[in-house]
Amino acid sequence: MVSLTINGRVVQANKGEMLLSVTRREGIDIPALCHHDAVEPFGACRLCMVEITKAEWDGWTNYVAACLYPVEDGLIVQTHSSKVNELRRTVLDLLLARCPNSPEIRQLAAEYGVTQTAYEEIPDADNCILCGLCTRVCERLGFKAISTVGRGHDKVVAPPLKEAPPDCVGCLSCAQVCPTNVIQYEDEGNKRTIWNKSFELIACKECGKQTITRDFAEALSSQRNIPEDYFELCDECHRRELSVKMGSIVSWSREAAS
Amino acid sequence: MNHDLDKLPEIYERYPRTPQSLIAVLQDIQKEFHFLPTEALKRTAEELNVPLSKVFSVSTFYNAFSLHPRGEKIIRVCVGTTCHIRGAKQIQEQLENHLKIKAGETTEDKKFTLEVVACVGACAMAPVVAVDETYHGGVTVASCRKLVKKSKKGKKS
Repeated sequence: MVSLTINGRVVQANKGEMLLSVTRREGIDIPALCHHDAVEPFGACRLCMVEITKAEWDGWTNYVAACLYPVEDGLIVQTHSSKVNELRRTVLDLLLARCPNSPEIRQLAAEYGVTQTAYEEIPDADNCILCGLCTRVCERLGFKAISTVGRGHDKVVAPPLKEAPPDCVGCLSCAQVCPTNVIQYEDEGNKRTIWNKSFELIACKECGKQTITRDFAEALSSQRNIPEDYFELCDECHRRELSVKMGSIVSWSREAAS
Repeated sequence: MNHDLDKLPEIYERYPRTPQSLIAVLQDIQKEFHFLPTEALKRTAEELNVPLSKVFSVSTFYNAFSLHPRGEKIIRVCVGTTCHIRGAKQIQEQLENHLKIKAGETTEDKKFTLEVVACVGACAMAPVVAVDETYHGGVTVASCRKLVKKSKKGKKS
């Protein structure tokens, strides 16, 4: 265990833990767009910058990305000092120039008092902030269907060859983690379309509700050792089946007791 | 352009079949075909056990790789500050007119690709035109035509 001071409050944390997870546990609101607990910290969005110092630093301070900074004993952290807020405003100002139409960015920027970017807005901007969360989550899940393509100004998130990605299973993880909701998909009947690729949705055997795609189910059952027929039922019907089974066990044991 | 994919197995033989060999393999493919054919990207992904998305990511990241056919020789006109002052613009225009392509394009016979680069680090020789790895300093509007002619003939530029 290490002991550090955050905004004047002494806090205990595990050794090697990242600063951002400590502040989140303590209920301190630090904005972060590229962070997700399921993947390694990446430090792309730079919104979680905080001010750090130590007693022996003679008044010197440093500014670090909280998501990538392991906590140390005796660390003194300011999460919302005027300099930190100024740094965040700059980042938000740049993000606003990049994605002027993103409601998520606009709202976050407004919270920090930035309503209009000082930079030139990108013409026909999409809302992608290139945080790479989608590609990292996809990689973490083991599908590795999408990646960043190109570099510098031309960098985008795209499937290989910018065609329908052969490794995509239509799990929607990329769309769901996207902090600015850029990744579009469509569910129509038993068909799902994402990244220009179509998938068949499995209908629950009992209630007919659409669950996950056939490709995703196949991938899960082969890679994670889940029986194939598990995906024939939706979550609700699984629960119902389980409760009926449990109920029958209870009544059976009552009968046995009497 | 005839790109003979039969040459690929030989390239894969040169390196261990690990993801770490990706860039080396792509460099050799680029050298062989003067670009990275789509089919070669797919084969490389399989051979080295790298996701296709990663192969595409790497091959679009580095300037040394091209997904479109490039010329046998790459002519790079330096337009850095010093070369700019010494007339790089005129040399670029002259080469564009002579080769009948714009910067970034490849001649129809696939002999040359013309590129402009920000600085090749040889400012003392400005203006500089590099043909593949050979740097030519003090190039003039008159001499750059000869340069093209010479590089067309000889194997060495």
